[in-house]
Amino acid sequence: MPSSLSSRPGALVLLTASLAGLAIALYAYLTPLTGITGTLGALVAIVACLALAVMALLLFKVTSRGAAITLRILILIGLAGTFFAGILLHQWWIGAAMVVGLVGLIVDMVRPAQHTRLTHS
Amino acid sequence: MTALSTATRTPFKSVMFGCGAVTALAICLTPLPLWAQDQPTEESAAPEGAPARAPVPLVPGEPTWDSFHGQLNAQKYSPLDQITADNVGELEKVWEVHTGDVADGSGDLPATVWSATPVFANDTLYIGTPFYRILALDPGSGEEKWSFDTQSSLEALTQPALKNRGVAYWEADDPVAGEPCQKIIYMGTMDAQLFAVDADSGEQCADFADNGVLNVNQWNDTNDHWPLSLLQPPTVVGEHLILGWAGMDWAYEQAPPGTVYSINARTGEREWTFQALSDQMREQSGTANVWTHMSADEELGLVYLPVSSPSPNYWGGNRTEEVPLGTSTTALDIETGEVVWSRQWVHHDIWDYDINAAPTLMDITVNGEEIPALIQSTKMGFLFVVNRKTGEDVWPIEERSVPGGDGSVEGEVYAPTQPFPTKPAPLLDQSEKPKVWALADAVSFGECSALWDDLHYEGMYTPPTTQGEGTLGYPISAGGVQWGGVAFDPESQTAIVNTSHIVQYIKLYNRDDYELADSGSGNESGFAPQEGAPYGMRLEVALNRLGMPCWEPPFGELVALDMTTGDVKWRRPVGASQQYGFFMPESWGSPTIGGPAVTAGDIIFIGASMDAKVRAYSLETGEELWSDQTEAPSVSNPAVYEYNGRQYVAFVSGGNTILKDQVGDQIAVYALPE
Repeated sequence: MPSSLSSRPGALVLLTASLAGLAIALYAYLTPLTGITGTLGALVAIVACLALAVMALLLFKVTSRGAAITLRILILIGLAGTFFAGILLHQWWIGAAMVVGLVGLIVDMVRPAQHTRLTHS
Repeated sequence: MTALSTATRTPFKSVMFGCGAVTALAICLTPLPLWAQDQPTEESAAPEGAPARAPVPLVPGEPTWDSFHGQLNAQKYSPLDQITADNVGELEKVWEVHTGDVADGSGDLPATVWSATPVFANDTLYIGTPFYRILALDPGSGEEKWSFDTQSSLEALTQPALKNRGVAYWEADDPVAGEPCQKIIYMGTMDAQLFAVDADSGEQCADFADNGVLNVNQWNDTNDHWPLSLLQPPTVVGEHLILGWAGMDWAYEQAPPGTVYSINARTGEREWTFQALSDQMREQSGTANVWTHMSADEELGLVYLPVSSPSPNYWGGNRTEEVPLGTSTTALDIETGEVVWSRQWVHHDIWDYDINAAPTLMDITVNGEEIPALIQSTKMGFLFVVNRKTGEDVWPIEERSVPGGDGSVEGEVYAPTQPFPTKPAPLLDQSEKPKVWALADAVSFGECSALWDDLHYEGMYTPPTTQGEGTLGYPISAGGVQWGGVAFDPESQTAIVNTSHIVQYIKLYNRDDYELADSGSGNESGFAPQEGAPYGMRLEVALNRLGMPCWEPPFGELVALDMTTGDVKWRRPVGASQQYGFFMPESWGSPTIGGPAVTAGDIIFIGASMDAKVRAYSLETGEELWSDQTEAPSVSNPAVYEYNGRQYVAFVSGGNTILKDQVGDQIAVYALPE
């Protein structure tokens, strides 16, 4: 595992949760008889999970405190919105993935990345 | 008026998320016009040697599902009891078939609207498709036994969509061994051809009409703007096929008169006809047809017709004389077509309140008295209960004063009163203007409140107007109850009915204003010309700009009624509304198209909702016990049958674009694990 990933366990959890949400949303969109097959709502969930995954990756790269705060706020909004969408789509596992992602975000917030500390030491 | 009316013009898809006994008796005893029916003619004589047959009892001794509503009594009841509240949760899909006959309207073909209930007979499951093919399927596996393609034109001649409500089945009481067509499947087409094919082989019946095809349009000789579309299977009563038809609503003031034909089941010969309109009215107006299924009591020798409104739908200046058989339940003598009794449920109908479902026949005990009753569900959300022998009230039906209009519409003569049932209570609360839904109002920055302020409303039966945004209707064309009608459990004497709660508004435009305002009509709502009348019209569902209903949920309910008292046993929201894939809270319910089936296992099966789920509910409590996802909303009544000792429940998930833009070609059949 690259050191940047291992040094940001919270972001890693968030990334994993986002990808899990993406997989579930893709399955729901593409598979017949999920109740949301081919719907705009499922597509929105796919895009949202994809955006969360991208933002999780950016967490590994961001060094500026202001940018990190902005990114975390966007991620929080994304998690909340996707959680809500997952529930309304009756895709409970998307909701669960977003809760896990929230845990990852919280971990990332309370435990700053090691390489960041090293950079500033 | 015609099938297009509620059924096809109701835009649900944007929905997100007295007279008393004395008067009633007087009405019943009022001599009905002689023009109500043609007398039997020579050509109508039954074939010589036709056997006398024993009438089917009201509740057959064996489980049957051999007609559109299960049985001729339209009870949608099965005495099968393998599936109960204890085990219904174990139901599994044991087979499914995709017919391939489906179109969403995006290509060369119009969208399909498939509301066919499968017919179980002759150890076979028969069904018609919206491409006008008949399929004969093995009931236990879904394997195709045979199919028959009518080769019908797939053009939306009278409807905005390709529609089919299935097939009818007949069998001879005196079958001749080795002869074909002793059992026959019938299906009609949009271009008015009635096909008869052998139920065993799928071969056309040579002795029926013209080599197995009856051209019903040969009798379309008045105001024949369009063919008499046969979208609903004929009602088979003994040796008779009682045949209604659908047409095109809202296009013209004058329409073909809604003649009902009795056809000999063996030969295709016309026996008698029924007209709800007088000769004079037939020329200047039209329809008052029967576009949905009928019910029959063979022991009484009566067939019961749900008769629609005369044309045009929303202006009646061309028909100010009384039309007593319009918007009625009318009982005919099966053999002669003579009117035995008739009850008009809307006088001078200018709201498109077609009677749109077969009345459900039931024997009930009221105040200790056994009553041969009939319950007629309506678009108004009223349930009228009468004695099916005489048409007399079971519970009083009162004539009450209704609004007289604002004087803005020329030529109209409004009915001063309308019939209101005292029991059962109305399925919807039409006693006051529906309340604006605060959530929809808030998110649209007051759009709903503003619309409400611009809508004319003086209570139920407020006439259409040219003023403001028009008249609020709750319910109106979308209706309270659709063609699924009322199911009935004869054991507990419980009636089950699903409703929609939809607010619409209607405005009339004089010709000049209509030409300026007409921006083209959608298939299900918007503008329509009523050409020939002084007014065009516009009908819309009351939605805000986000597509949210402006009125409070629930948007649909399932209701159980104790028919010994007329009281509600329970009611609950049914299904879930869905928009863009997002499910709304189940407490909001869903508009419904399609109806229920009920079993001796005390289970109610129903699809009907926007979320394309099929469900089972407890007859006793209304608790939801089971559900499964299907391909599209199941807008027909389920079929319940037994084959090789196993109970099956079949849903047809074809969708209806007026409920939601989701079509399907799936037959999904469920049973308990072996």
